[in-house]
Amino acid sequence: MSFLDSKPGVPLLESDDLVRHYEVNRGLGKPNATVKALDGVSFTLESKKTLAVVGESGCGKSTLGRQLTLIEKPSAGQLKINGDAVGDLSDKDAKMFRRTVQMIFQNPYGSLNPRKKVGQILGEPVLLNMDHLGRKEREERVRDTMAKVGLRPEFYNRYPHMFSGGQRQRISIARALILEPKVIVADEPVSALDVSVQAQVLNLMMDLQEEMNVAYVFISHDLSVVRHIADDVMVMYLGRVAEKGPTEEIFAKPLHPYTRALLASAPKIDPTHRVKSEPLTGELPSPINPPSGCAFHKRCPFATEECAKVRPELRMFEGREVACHRVEEIA
Amino acid sequence: MTSQNTPSTAPEDAIDETMGKPPSPFMETWNYFRKNRGAYVGLIVIAIILFVAAFADVISPYDPILQDRTAFLKPPIWMDGADPRYILGTDAVGRDILSRLIHGAQLSVSIGVFVVIASMIAGIMLGVTAGYFRGWIEVGIMRLMDTMLALPSLIMAMAIVAILGPGLENAMLAIAIVQLPHYVRLSRASVVTELNKEYVIASQIAGAGHMRQMFINILPNCMAPLIVQGTLGISSAILDAAALGFLGLGAQPPLPEWGTMLAEAREFVGSAWWVITFPGLCILVTVLAFNLMGDGLRDALDPKMKR
Amino acid sequence: MALLEVKNLTVEFGSEDKPFRAVDSVSYSVDRGEVLGIVGESGSGKSVSSLAIMGLIDFPGRVTADSLTFDGQDLLTMAPSKRRAITGKDIAMIFQDPMSALNPCFTVEAQIMEALKVHEGGSKKQRRERTLDLINQVGIPDPKSRMTAYPHQLSGGMSQRVVIAMAIACQPRLLIADEPTTALDVTIQAQIIDLLLKLQEDSDMGLLLITHDLALVSEAANRIQVMYAGQLFESGPADSIFTAPRHPYTQALLEALPERSVGRDRLSTIPGVVPGQYDRPKGCLLAPRCRYANDHCVASQPEVTDFNGRDVRCFYPLDDQGLPTGQTNSQNVGETV
Repeated sequence: MSFLDSKPGVPLLESDDLVRHYEVNRGLGKPNATVKALDGVSFTLESKKTLAVVGESGCGKSTLGRQLTLIEKPSAGQLKINGDAVGDLSDKDAKMFRRTVQMIFQNPYGSLNPRKKVGQILGEPVLLNMDHLGRKEREERVRDTMAKVGLRPEFYNRYPHMFSGGQRQRISIARALILEPKVIVADEPVSALDVSVQAQVLNLMMDLQEEMNVAYVFISHDLSVVRHIADDVMVMYLGRVAEKGPTEEIFAKPLHPYTRALLASAPKIDPTHRVKSEPLTGELPSPINPPSGCAFHKRCPFATEECAKVRPELRMFEGREVACHRVEEIA
Repeated sequence: MTSQNTPSTAPEDAIDETMGKPPSPFMETWNYFRKNRGAYVGLIVIAIILFVAAFADVISPYDPILQDRTAFLKPPIWMDGADPRYILGTDAVGRDILSRLIHGAQLSVSIGVFVVIASMIAGIMLGVTAGYFRGWIEVGIMRLMDTMLALPSLIMAMAIVAILGPGLENAMLAIAIVQLPHYVRLSRASVVTELNKEYVIASQIAGAGHMRQMFINILPNCMAPLIVQGTLGISSAILDAAALGFLGLGAQPPLPEWGTMLAEAREFVGSAWWVITFPGLCILVTVLAFNLMGDGLRDALDPKMKR
Repeated sequence: MALLEVKNLTVEFGSEDKPFRAVDSVSYSVDRGEVLGIVGESGSGKSVSSLAIMGLIDFPGRVTADSLTFDGQDLLTMAPSKRRAITGKDIAMIFQDPMSALNPCFTVEAQIMEALKVHEGGSKKQRRERTLDLINQVGIPDPKSRMTAYPHQLSGGMSQRVVIAMAIACQPRLLIADEPTTALDVTIQAQIIDLLLKLQEDSDMGLLLITHDLALVSEAANRIQVMYAGQLFESGPADSIFTAPRHPYTQALLEALPERSVGRDRLSTIPGVVPGQYDRPKGCLLAPRCRYANDHCVASQPEVTDFNGRDVRCFYPLDDQGLPTGQTNSQNVGETV
């Protein structure tokens, strides 16, 4: 279990230049195209912290989630937990790693097997990963976890369709928690929920973080939710990181033009919070044929010739990382 | 782990949600099914047929292969010249048609059920494998099934029986093979749609292996269309068995299989209509009942048809 | 006179003796050049009510209303063919999912021209020119080449623009937009809302914007209606309804927004869930979840009353400090019911 123990000075989870490319068949006689869904993403996550991954659909945030949970192998780059690279682990250790990174899904309807009772859904991870537990102990663990997320233990024998969206999301959270993971990847966990229920689920997630010392990778497009829950924010655009830094700083003073546009586009209920600006023109370019230079330059109001030619790398500026050539002038 | 309610859980618990429960999936399906009058009638007819088949020995007045040399080709009792002992008359060798039909029900139902079960099990294995693993396994299995579908089913069944030799068991096997592609295609298609659902990924993250994923997690969610196909498959199996029997390739005389009865009665079409009409009617009613019930099940189980 | 007047619209599903009221006597009106926002959580009946106006509730559903008039004409008593003519031409509707609103088998051009043909006629050449016009109007770049594109070749944002082009093809006087941006990204959402508001202003159209997004509706609408479990809970002008909510539900909804609790650890929540078909409370529908509810609220249902110029369905509307009024002398309030 050595790699599961935290070491001082070593981050809990580290993504080192993670790359994931997909081959796309374009039909007979044409060469396959490469989609760079994830193109060199690095970050570190400390225990009990929340990193929000923000971006529009197609920015690679869900692909990142698939790499972190080991559903897919990255094309290049490394994923480290407590300093040990996952790629180097033996099969047995890889299974242990799986236990340490669990996932909450967006769709509370599709993420629970409709033919299984709640008890079976929650029992599956225990059955598969803690084979030393007997049937009784397994059931007990399931009921304990249900209580933790605010589901009454009597629900043990109910099917998912008997629950509301918010309760289903609680089941999903319970399933992610039951193995006592260190990291939970939450892919848009509240975007399918109503405002009032969303608040319940967010509160629950924060309470559980406090109680179980779990770190979240919180994938979301809703900036107000991100601002509330995250310690750090990573803004992604077309498979690359545009800006990364502490939440409050990014919201107080976004540096990358794309971050600014995102913040300005989000509607706000308070008239005083509203930023009047021209909405961003154009749409996310195709990842099969991304623009040259900075992927954002065609929509960017500050773009110069350099932006169209040279791809900006992430660099430190005012205590956070930004990938923009003109950040000094814009700031 | 200690069980401690976090503060955020308290309000949710404060409200009892058990006061109004939506109906269970089974009851919902049953309610939809019941509203479909044709399907309901089909179900009743099938229940009758099953009852008759189960208690054939008790119900039938005579042994189905017993020949009464005093009563050849007697008409049903409501006609002139009938023998009052034989309600639906007798055939050319003096066997009671009613008894033969009752025992035929036993044969036909067991043919249908066996064929469907065999075909379904093999078809699900192949289809789930193809849909789950994709790639060359899928290509191999599906192209083979396409090839089988390219041949007319009865001709293929005849070819298989010709190789294996005529007889009821071989005919059943042949029909099972002929039906196979339907189950393979159906289960593959359902698995492919289910595979992209998040609950499958969730189980994968939990560490579920291939076998568990295929047969414990995914398969139960694919059963609805397979059940429908199975019900419809029983009727086509009965029909195919009758056709093979009629051609002399299925059940051999004196077995009272309906198709074989038809074949034996061929030469009396003009002179003694009852010999050929009653087995024909039995096939018609049974097949129709299974088809009606299958259609009803399809409507009841298909979520797209609901509301 | 208002463009659209709805009085006590009710939509029921299920059996006659135990009906489920998806929409429960809702009244509102939309004027020319006005944006009315209808906001509510799922199950609030906000979409069903707009479908009822369009005459799109099918058989098992029953629509009743005291009156339902468009531009002075009564939609309820009018002949179905005449109503269809109005709901196609003068009232247009756009839906949440632009992809399923377009027919995948036809080009963008063919679909817009079809809409024009049914309601406006004209020669093929005229209709083609008008189509190009419309595509320009909704801000689709490179319109000439996009005209011959099929829906699957367009992004979500572009598809929604095409849907809007089809909706405004016949210059409707009222546009009903049901969650028009829910399927889209934030930057695209901002573009589409800007487009809708610009079109609405240019042609003095009435716009009925239905959404679950409080922030979006507060930015876009002139007047706002808050719905809950099929009932109208509060309505009023957009600039004050979210700064000084009169209904406890509106207040609680606002407090649950992360935007309203910046710097706080926990979000304030509304306990429980929206009542569904099987668990409707007997009294006020919010009573089990309302922090101010008392026995009176549990026992009987409040009516919509006027409170400081705001329509509120509550026995104890909130004052400027956000506290319920009249709860001490609940007898007086009770008498009005």
